[in-house]
Amino acid sequence: MVPSMSLILTNRVGQPESYTLQVFEKTGGYQSVKKLFSLQPNQVIDEVKNSGLRGRGGAGFSAGLKWSFVPQDTGKPVYLCVNADESEPGTFKDRLLLEDDPHQLIEGIIIACYAIRSHTAYIYIRGEFDLPCQRIRSAVAEAYAKGYLGKNIFKSGYDLDVTIHRGAGAYICGEETALLESLEGKKGQPRIKPPFPAVVGLFGSPTVINNVETLSALPFIINHGAAAYRRFGTEKSPGTKLFSVSGHVNKPGVLEKPLGYPLKDLIEKDCGGVLGGKRLKAVVPGGSSVPVLNAQDVETVKLDYESLMQHGSMLGSGGVIVLHEGVDMLWALRNLSRFYAHESCGQCTPCREGSGWVDKILVRFLREGGTSADIELLKDISNNMMGKTICVLADALAMPVLSYLKKFPEDFAAHFRGKTAQAQMHVL
Amino acid sequence: MTMEFSPENKKKLAEILSRYPTKQAALLPTLWLAQGEFGFISQETMEYVAGLLDISPAHVYGVVTFYTMFHRKPPGKYNLQVCRTLSCALRGSESLLDHLKKKLGIGENETTPDGKFSLCTVECLASCGTAPAMMVNQKYFENLDASKVDEILNGLK
Amino acid sequence: MIMTDITLTIDGKQVAVPKGTSILQAAITAGITIPHYCWHPGLKAVGNCRMCLVQVEKWPKPVASCVQPVSEGMVVKTSTDEITKIRKSVMEFLLINHPLDCPTCDQAGECRLQDYYMNYDEVPSRFAEEKVSKNKMIDLGANVMLDQERCIACTRCIRVCQEVAGVDELTLANRGDHTMITTFPGKKLSNPYAGNTIDVCPVGALTNKDFRFKKRVWFLERTPSVCPGCSRGCNIEIHHEELKVYRLLPRYNPEVNNYWICDEGRYGYKFINEDRILRPRILEKNISHLVSSDEAVDRLAGLMKGGALDEIGVVANAQETNETLQALADFAKTVLKTRHLYFSRREVENPVSDNFLMTADKNPNQAFVDKLGFRPLSTLKEVRGLLVLNSLSPADMKKVIEKKVPILGIWASNENPAAHSSAVVFPIPTYAEQEGHFTNVRGLTQKITAAYPPRGEARLVSETLEELTERLQTNARSYTQNSYPLSPHL
Ligand SMILES: Cc1cc2nc3c(=O)[nH]c(=O)nc-3n(C[C@H](O)[C@H](O)[C@H](O)COP(=O)(O)O)c2cc1C
Ligand code: SF4
Ligand code: SF4
Ligand code: SF4
Ligand code: FES
Repeated sequence: MVPSMSLILTNRVGQPESYTLQVFEKTGGYQSVKKLFSLQPNQVIDEVKNSGLRGRGGAGFSAGLKWSFVPQDTGKPVYLCVNADESEPGTFKDRLLLEDDPHQLIEGIIIACYAIRSHTAYIYIRGEFDLPCQRIRSAVAEAYAKGYLGKNIFKSGYDLDVTIHRGAGAYICGEETALLESLEGKKGQPRIKPPFPAVVGLFGSPTVINNVETLSALPFIINHGAAAYRRFGTEKSPGTKLFSVSGHVNKPGVLEKPLGYPLKDLIEKDCGGVLGGKRLKAVVPGGSSVPVLNAQDVETVKLDYESLMQHGSMLGSGGVIVLHEGVDMLWALRNLSRFYAHESCGQCTPCREGSGWVDKILVRFLREGGTSADIELLKDISNNMMGKTICVLADALAMPVLSYLKKFPEDFAAHFRGKTAQAQMHVL
Repeated sequence: MTMEFSPENKKKLAEILSRYPTKQAALLPTLWLAQGEFGFISQETMEYVAGLLDISPAHVYGVVTFYTMFHRKPPGKYNLQVCRTLSCALRGSESLLDHLKKKLGIGENETTPDGKFSLCTVECLASCGTAPAMMVNQKYFENLDASKVDEILNGLK
Repeated sequence: MIMTDITLTIDGKQVAVPKGTSILQAAITAGITIPHYCWHPGLKAVGNCRMCLVQVEKWPKPVASCVQPVSEGMVVKTSTDEITKIRKSVMEFLLINHPLDCPTCDQAGECRLQDYYMNYDEVPSRFAEEKVSKNKMIDLGANVMLDQERCIACTRCIRVCQEVAGVDELTLANRGDHTMITTFPGKKLSNPYAGNTIDVCPVGALTNKDFRFKKRVWFLERTPSVCPGCSRGCNIEIHHEELKVYRLLPRYNPEVNNYWICDEGRYGYKFINEDRILRPRILEKNISHLVSSDEAVDRLAGLMKGGALDEIGVVANAQETNETLQALADFAKTVLKTRHLYFSRREVENPVSDNFLMTADKNPNQAFVDKLGFRPLSTLKEVRGLLVLNSLSPADMKKVIEKKVPILGIWASNENPAAHSSAVVFPIPTYAEQEGHFTNVRGLTQKITAAYPPRGEARLVSETLEELTERLQTNARSYTQNSYPLSPHL
């Protein structure tokens, strides 16, 4: 039976004590588990593959497919790492799931672990998340107390341990291999791939890393089946997605929408329109790392992997940052370059040196004005960073730089040397 | 002077160690314990932790300096960490920071002479929808403006 | 296990290499060099400098050839326009925060930045911003000086400590462009292989305090040799100019020392330059006189003829070459016909040894000494006098004094107590000034070559022994101990 509810992930959000085991179970929580243990792990993988669920951490890789890469004959343990590092600027949806529905995540962890035959899961949660950490900690404790975690969970004969591991302030630890390094007690410096974590991951063992939101969607898929999940969203981007909307809208917040939902509706209908009735200038649709959209793009773009790609951007983490006409895009870009320069792990030459260089040029541009040669230089540095490094943090700076320069050249021209100060906009 | 964890933290450490197949994996949790107990991570603490986990002090130093949340000097009693990243900046974090500087009479990465407040900026706290935001020690304060900040400061004794 | 070979094409050349080989190594096999900074053949590949990027046909992005394993049928291109641009850009990135102080940098001449700069950059700097400033002139200990501003964060030095010395003493602190190499604050490098960090550092970030500013490297000549510091016999290169040795560097030998040497060996070259015995001399009534080589040979022959030759003992030394030891053994057996064949050797207090390179036997040639049947000098029987190679260990010296056995002659390169009390002293070349062989602890015989001719009037032991043989076999004048009383040991 397909439920009539319109939501998959956020049904309990905002309900009193939604984070407790009691409320969770009253509202259908842990229902999928019985069915889960009647299935073979491979059947679970197939079901999730069929659902078309794609990773919600940013890369959008098929969850079921990723699981199927885990070799089962290595004699080593298999690990699940839950990516709760949520640090992509503009993204705050995993925080909501951790705070308001931690048991849903645990249920998802049980499903994923069973599918990949893992008996140990680590939840890597960013160090700044205090309340979310407390919530998931007590939820895990409740689950252990009830026999839902630990030995012989749900009397199924299956053992599963879950450990919460706190980060300590480093955006890069959200990158899956940096997360593994950090969990192993090292600096969060991304690893070279191959080997991929599915084969050589945590402590040298096969490992799956999944985002909080990805895992939180699993109970629904097991309960109601892949077909039910596919009734949401589009053919190629099935299901729902959480969108974290921030910046210049009247009602910012996290919204769960079927994929394919028009961005314009999200801003106008769901978020009360642009702040102060101003004109829309730009939208960063998928977290700060993706290319920016201009007002014209926003008219037509839909929130799914394909449509955003067609508009030269990406769905990413679903962090939607809205900027109104008062924003100087040079100023906005510099805010991000500072972020990436600050967060570069420092391993690869192009990222370590390039991120700082871009930031310094943009600062000079803002303070003293720049030249068209600086624009060309910024483009060239960005091209020299893109696709040349160990992880894509370098691209995550280069893409915004290139897209801001391409879509808002006038904002940069306004800062050319010789222009008067008043020609230079600033925010607000 | 030799440094040692309290009996309670020693117990916690044992529990932490039981959760990982290597001792080194317990480094971040152990540093958190240490920062909790000693207030900050001194060189002595790093050497102590290195000894506990059978890893080199150099490794611990590399790790401590990599992550932003480990303090190598004691911060003020209240560590005000203002988010400076885009969504908060769009909603006025820059002027909020200026307000705090003026009000406390200190700059970024400084502590008031009485040791009560430290001020710094941090990158995105995942509070973009409730911007601007700041973290005081471990607690989030959101949807801030100047008057709200004043109220919060008054509440911090 | 038989490794399957993988065939691939690099710049149009077909190569077959074992499975698991990196593209970079496969390229080396094919005679193609791919520029690189962080990759070092003796260390784990980390792929962080991004200098070695190459293109693989049908792959969307360039890949780091140092960490990318080869696969069957791969078509690799290492010198496309795109790759050239990438290399230029990596050079540019590396240089933006680099102090560019080549004129005062000791690495000049062997700096990878300089080397590649010629090939890939040479455009005026586009960097108009302020450089990140870090610390210069940090004494890391163990003769290693660090300039953090010149560091390119390749982590080779960290890996040398971890993988070669087995200790974790260096780390990169901070992140982003504030990343910098350091030890734990207040701690010094303390591992016995620390000098290798200097060798592997591709730039002038780590330099040798012992060598700094002594010589521009391009003035130095290089001679292959073998370290005499212990019985491992690490392969080394002697760097010298005129008649002086400036430094020793490791020379690759996968069967002995790979790319590495220990610091004891590295800094153990000073005796070549200092405290040398450069002219023959004789001791007369306790006073030492410089004499010609002929006179010295005459004098020794005379002393030896003062009694039966087979009552003279010879003392070999584990510091000398196979050739010298053989010459002494032959002389003892055929000319002296003596049964008194002894040896002495370099002994140090608390010798450091490990299960990597360093052995407790601080001599390069004990194996050959043993092979020739020399016995420890501690077993010394009654003899009329001794002929000594090189020197005597303190214990052996004590024994000789106790037994009141006079040292009739010594062949030595450096001043030492035995030489001071020897009636005749012949200067000989150090290992750096002669050809020959050492046989190491595992029985491997390795060649040494002469960096320059013997200094002063030093001559090979075998040459003086030949002359001595001649003198002993003619009826030259004989001396008795009475006519020239030998000095008591000093
Ligand atoms: C620089 C960088 C930061 C990232 N940060 C996060 C993050 O905070 N949370 C997250 O879930 N994934 C993050 N990712 C993506 C992860 O690498 C990985 O793709 C994801 O956790 C996989 O889970 P999923 O397949 O369920 O999305 C980041 C990637 C990069 C390159
Ligand atoms: S791209 Fe940047 S963040 Fe990623 S590994 Fe390289 S230096 Fe680190
Ligand atoms: S000091 Fe030299 S070897 Fe060490 S990381 Fe820096 S450049 Fe590399
Ligand atoms: S290990 Fe022995 S042979 Fe090798 S460098 Fe050191 S002293 Fe010389
Ligand atoms: S040599 Fe390959 S990345 Fe440095």
